[in-house]
Amino acid sequence: MQIKRVTIANFRSIKRAEIELGATTVLIGPNNAGKTAILEAIRIALTRRWGLRGTGFTEYDVHLCAARTDPKVGDPVVIEIEIQEAAVGEWPEELHETLADIIQLNPVSGQASIIMRVSCAWDDGEQSYIPKWEFLNTDRNPLAGKGARATNFQEFFSFLPVFYLDALRDAGDEFAARSQFWGRLLRTVQIPDPLEQKSVRIFNLLNAKLLAADPLLGNLATSLSDISRVATTGTPGQANLRVLPLNTWDLLSKAEVIYQNDDTKPWLPLMRHGQGVQSLSVMFLFRSFVELLLGELYRADSTPVLALEEPETHLHPQAARSLFGHVAQLQGQKIVSTHSPYFLHHVPFRDLRVVRSGPDGTIVKSLPREFRCRVPNLPGFAPVIAASGGLLEYDGGLSELVIKGSLPTPAYNSLLVACQGQADMAAMHVRLRAARDASLEFVPDEDLQKLETFARRIRGEIFFANKWLLVEGQSEHHLVHGMARAMDFDLDEHGVAVIDFANNGNCGMFTALARALGFPWTMVVDGDLAGTQYIASVQGRNFSPAEVAQFTRQIAGQTIEHQLVADGLQPELKAILAAQGVPGVAAMDDAALIAALSGDKCGYAAELAAQCAASLPLTQRMPLAIREAIETLRGLE
Amino acid sequence: MTELEKALSELTPAQAAATNWVDGPLFVLAGPGSGKTRVLTTRVAKLLAETPDKSFRVMALTFTNKAADEMATRIEAVVPDQQQRATIGTFHSFCMQMLQQHGSHIGINPNFAIYSLESDRADLLKEAIRANGLDSSDERFLGTIDKLKARLIQPEACAKLFRDSDIGQRVELVYSAYEAALRSANALDFASLIAQAYRLISTFAGVALHYRRAYAYWMFDEFQDTTDGQYRLIKALAGDGFRNVFAVADDDQIIYQWNGASYKQIQRFRTDFNPTEIQLPTNYRCPPSIVAAANRLVVHNTQRTAAKQPLEAGKTTLLYPDGQHINLLRYSTEEAEATAIAAGIAAIPDIKRGQIAVLARTRALLERMNTALLNAGVTAAIAQRRDDFRSAQFLWLAAALRLAARPGDRRALDTLTGAFNRWFDLGISSDDIAAGAEISGRSLLAEWAGAIGFGEDNQANALTALATAFSAQPTTFRAFIDQVLEKLPAQESEAATDIDEDRTAWVSLARSIGQAIGRDAGLDQFLQELALRSKEPPVSDDAVTLMTIHSAKGKEFDHVYVIGLAEDVLPSFQSVKAGEQSAEMEEERRNCFVAITRAREWLCLSYADRYRGWPKQPSRFLLEMGLNLPQAASA
Repeated sequence: MQIKRVTIANFRSIKRAEIELGATTVLIGPNNAGKTAILEAIRIALTRRWGLRGTGFTEYDVHLCAARTDPKVGDPVVIEIEIQEAAVGEWPEELHETLADIIQLNPVSGQASIIMRVSCAWDDGEQSYIPKWEFLNTDRNPLAGKGARATNFQEFFSFLPVFYLDALRDAGDEFAARSQFWGRLLRTVQIPDPLEQKSVRIFNLLNAKLLAADPLLGNLATSLSDISRVATTGTPGQANLRVLPLNTWDLLSKAEVIYQNDDTKPWLPLMRHGQGVQSLSVMFLFRSFVELLLGELYRADSTPVLALEEPETHLHPQAARSLFGHVAQLQGQKIVSTHSPYFLHHVPFRDLRVVRSGPDGTIVKSLPREFRCRVPNLPGFAPVIAASGGLLEYDGGLSELVIKGSLPTPAYNSLLVACQGQADMAAMHVRLRAARDASLEFVPDEDLQKLETFARRIRGEIFFANKWLLVEGQSEHHLVHGMARAMDFDLDEHGVAVIDFANNGNCGMFTALARALGFPWTMVVDGDLAGTQYIASVQGRNFSPAEVAQFTRQIAGQTIEHQLVADGLQPELKAILAAQGVPGVAAMDDAALIAALSGDKCGYAAELAAQCAASLPLTQRMPLAIREAIETLRGLE
Repeated sequence: MTELEKALSELTPAQAAATNWVDGPLFVLAGPGSGKTRVLTTRVAKLLAETPDKSFRVMALTFTNKAADEMATRIEAVVPDQQQRATIGTFHSFCMQMLQQHGSHIGINPNFAIYSLESDRADLLKEAIRANGLDSSDERFLGTIDKLKARLIQPEACAKLFRDSDIGQRVELVYSAYEAALRSANALDFASLIAQAYRLISTFAGVALHYRRAYAYWMFDEFQDTTDGQYRLIKALAGDGFRNVFAVADDDQIIYQWNGASYKQIQRFRTDFNPTEIQLPTNYRCPPSIVAAANRLVVHNTQRTAAKQPLEAGKTTLLYPDGQHINLLRYSTEEAEATAIAAGIAAIPDIKRGQIAVLARTRALLERMNTALLNAGVTAAIAQRRDDFRSAQFLWLAAALRLAARPGDRRALDTLTGAFNRWFDLGISSDDIAAGAEISGRSLLAEWAGAIGFGEDNQANALTALATAFSAQPTTFRAFIDQVLEKLPAQESEAATDIDEDRTAWVSLARSIGQAIGRDAGLDQFLQELALRSKEPPVSDDAVTLMTIHSAKGKEFDHVYVIGLAEDVLPSFQSVKAGEQSAEMEEERRNCFVAITRAREWLCLSYADRYRGWPKQPSRFLLEMGLNLPQAASA
């Protein structure tokens, strides 16, 4: 059992967002973009509490914007959780039987799903934000009859218990006797009665002996007995000193984890270890809890949902890098937010959700495998689907056309034609167009495979950047950094990732990735045939000619070195080569100079970049296409 | 001993064999008074009690809400903590739940209304015909539409089923228009509940799969009453693989042939499921002489299980001595018959009258009997399903609830206005209110309350004020009901008025609905459940029950009078015309069989020499039962 999709509206920074979830989903994005809002929305939706006023939502949870400044007026907060069987029979019998009254069906395949909605709006009568939980049918109407009974929620939540580990988790709290995992683990410990009684006898005996050992202790107890004379009236009380626990629970509640780094180090309580070990220990505590106790506290078939903020907190990069594997192996469904490029290192691309704030609230982007469009199964679709070579399918159960890649224009046009004569043709066209447009952003598995192979090194950096600048190689990489600094647009300060794509795969897939995940980008390439081919490969990714013209630039010369020479930078270049001890620099003609510079085998680019950074006039003599690309970046949002 | 152990210990070996059946199809052929309902409820309880760590569900369907309520109450008493795993209901309530949950796939919204009134349906059809420009005389096809629905036939291309293609075309158009009107009113009628559930299941395989996954054991009571449509629903739900179907039936008690029940369904069940069969021939209800008479009677039928064992008398303690259990009386006329029977009943003490029933083949005979009892000073009530309340007060309450749930429902407005006019002697026109609402944009209920305004009658003022507040907050319907009930006039005289009857009915309905859907269910569901149920009040303890034989099925009484045992009455005129070998005659014989086996202690059969002035022979069934006919009519 797994949450397939969360839809959130009017909640905190989120105006409207739909997030597909897998077994492990990783949210990345700048601070305040809405990652925590997503995790909290899931937590609130799955933890309905009965009879408690004001739990769940407050006025601070209502999305506010220019058009809505009063949280009490306007559309309600809505969180919709949809869980779906991946295939008939995935869900255990018990779940299917217990939740039979709220289950919805793919009526063709029989795959089960459950859709739960919580909505919350200000209620004038109650003078409070009143949340309402309900299960929905596939048309998003509330279920009636047995499906509307309140008992369904308890059953549902028992199958899907949610746990939240926030970024500020404190190992001290988490290992306290009343904490959510540790405390519950301890409380289930069962000491056999004879042992319990024996322990108590020994504690008492030892306590008495210790008190008797020094008269000071005995006198202290006597004098403390006066408390009762003040505190109570009538019955005289008694105070005593206890240096040993009263019973085994008292003892157990003080149990703590001790940890030894290696054989040569001392055993130390967890709290005496570094923050990193402490933070990590909380996660492993969750794992123990799930493995040992979850089935007992909930159900054998329960799927824990773990909302985990920044698991990398305080961890060394190497530890952060290996952490994803551990998180992914945790039982249940995990939704993780992270700011760590190291943590991201092993996250599969399709599990990523890029969260950022847009003009209309939080935007969530991802790399879906397919795109769906709710349209009736028109007779005219059949031949188009048959001719699509597997690209198109019709899901009769959900009444959705499924597009498993980018939808080419001819097929798209045939689909439009097939709608002709339908009463709501216009609406169908709108939906088809939206699905087609979304499908053009499709990034195929092969590309992601290549990115895994070639670009693992840079993925951490690029996914945490704001904008991407694509350049061919190492020389440009250096130069753009230096030039941009002189142009008062420091690339690091502005979160620009410079991707030297020639060493990391190909530019087409980076541009497709940038579009799909919503990274603004620009590209500058050489003027040679290869450069022309690079631009063509971008064009082949369903970018319009206007977009290509806007975002790609070719320098006039064959290569960057040709252009530098053409731009009259021979004196500077020769000086750099000479300083680096290259022989015969002075006598070099342009061709020889270009040959010496080519491929930046001599590392000239780093030096030239440093000079550019220090000198705007020099930068202004640098190739126009690069300067323009930097200006374009400055304007990109 | 737990409740379940107690229940199990009370079973006979044959009952226990059926009760302990677990997997695979079983057909229980059970005679009257053989404890079949006990077998069924005990089996449900046992299946659940023995699997406390399992979560599979069990469904048991029967034909009346009353039977379902009784079954649910019994199961709750035996296994209170497992009861939520049992779905006990009628075919209609089961289909209603299915459509609430999965109807969206065929365009049905969960909050649909159920049109249980013929008048609502006739109005809807009339409007549909007018809106589609069809011939207004085609309103007469409502019955035809019902027959098509009962056979699960959708409007599309139904014309070809008619011999007369012109009529066929017209029916198809009218049927389509009617269904479209139901859809746009977000409403279903009774026949639609079954027909649409069947459509859902037969169109989408995944839905039936869900029920097979969630419900491990299915049980059907009174299986002999299953219609062709209901049987096909069961079969479609079971598909080819589901086997845990348990049907309890008596082929000697098929008396709904006119409604589509047929021995054929039993035969189809045998063919499709190849069930093991268990017979429960022992009758624990009737004295041995009645059992013997019933056996002698029913062997004259041919449309029944060949290997069916005769009933065996199992009742051990008898109230009356041997030879006094069957009485046969002959009168000169039906008037004399009614008067004499009434006099006989009047001689029985009040406190025993709740255990007396007078059964007759026709309603006309019961009405005559009712008058005679009234004249003799005996309280009696004709038990019959009521689709609606009778008093203006409760008609108004129900209409107000309906209008709050469906603020634009014109028919509910008509009822509301008419009832209130009748109640307070007003002359408000619902047309004016509808027109006013169109202009003001208010809901019909609010508009109506505004139109009544503030008058001289304090009670009317209080009610319109309640209605105004309620129209703004339909979720407060339970409070509204309570407030309205408080304002209703209390019972004044001995004789129960319509209000008193409706009030009694309402209390028992509210209890039954609460049991079915809980106390926190919404207004839409409350109305759905209300529509499914009869608005007839429960018979009070000191009243004699008058029933047609059809209504008496499944019931039992200490004293049973069966009147009108004459040719052309029981058996009916039509069956006599159809002949001794006809299916109709067999059905009449089963009617007689059902009637006499209602008696726990004492049976009185009677006939007159003349009915409606025509001389009639004593019923052939009297002779078949081996009774000695009186030589002369009693005084």
